[in-house]
Amino acid sequence: MSTTSQKHRDFVGEPMGDKSVMALSGIGEILGKKLEQQGFDKAFVVLGQFLLLKKDSDMFTEWLKDASGANSRQAGSCAQCLREWCDAFL
Amino acid sequence: MSSLRSRTAQEISDLLDEYEIKHGPVVDSTRNLYERKLKEAMAKGRKAKPSPDKTYYREEEEVTYEYKTPVRSDGAGDSGSYMRSRPAWNEREFEHETSYSNYSRPKLEYGGQQFSDEPHMYDLPSTYKSSYLKTTPGPSKEAPKAPQSSRLVPLWVQFLFFVAVAVFLYLVFSSMETNEPIKGIE
Repeated sequence: MSTTSQKHRDFVGEPMGDKSVMALSGIGEILGKKLEQQGFDKAFVVLGQFLLLKKDSDMFTEWLKDASGANSRQAGSCAQCLREWCDAFL
Repeated sequence: MSSLRSRTAQEISDLLDEYEIKHGPVVDSTRNLYERKLKEAMAKGRKAKPSPDKTYYREEEEVTYEYKTPVRSDGAGDSGSYMRSRPAWNEREFEHETSYSNYSRPKLEYGGQQFSDEPHMYDLPSTYKSSYLKTTPGPSKEAPKAPQSSRLVPLWVQFLFFVAVAVFLYLVFSSMETNEPIKGIE
């Protein structure tokens, strides 16, 4: 998977546990802060939202763009990260 | 158009189903997103939604009956005049006779008023009936589009093509026959 970042590989490689939302691929400090303000302070809460949207990447990216101001690339990266994490551990 | 925000979660969920938008539970965190999706879908008029107005349906059924008979003789012109009044919404619905039965079936579904011009819709069957009875298609500028929106290739073209292929195969077969006698009956 040469197209994925190290952050992505780090996240997808193990159970997320209590990791911060900024551990998600595509989510940096600014986006992370915005999400935390809305109550999504841990990665698993964002995972919860992803699951509520039935793991639909399109819906999730749309939600993420709306909630955090992420652009398409960042939101897509986060969605892919969560999807792969679910494939591995859910 | 009533506000989506005032609807219950169940109604939002039903609306999403009507527009064939795949969705999860409508909860606090997902609600905004689904409302936005519904607004987009409504604006595009993607899928025809049945109206909850029962009075409308009564007239609609009458129109169905009348509409079915003329379709055979002059479907394009009439659907053209019909569609003139409801361009975006019924383009697909009114080409097909069968879609009428689909349309009137989900009577009890309350999907909310999608159209701000719903009274206009209500008037439509009566105006359509009167215009039809006079058999005046009117400015059916959308008539050429009418038979083609539902089918990519019109039915008569399909038949023609089929006949052409059959004739071609027959010719091929008969040209083979010049070399050897007909063996088909063995």
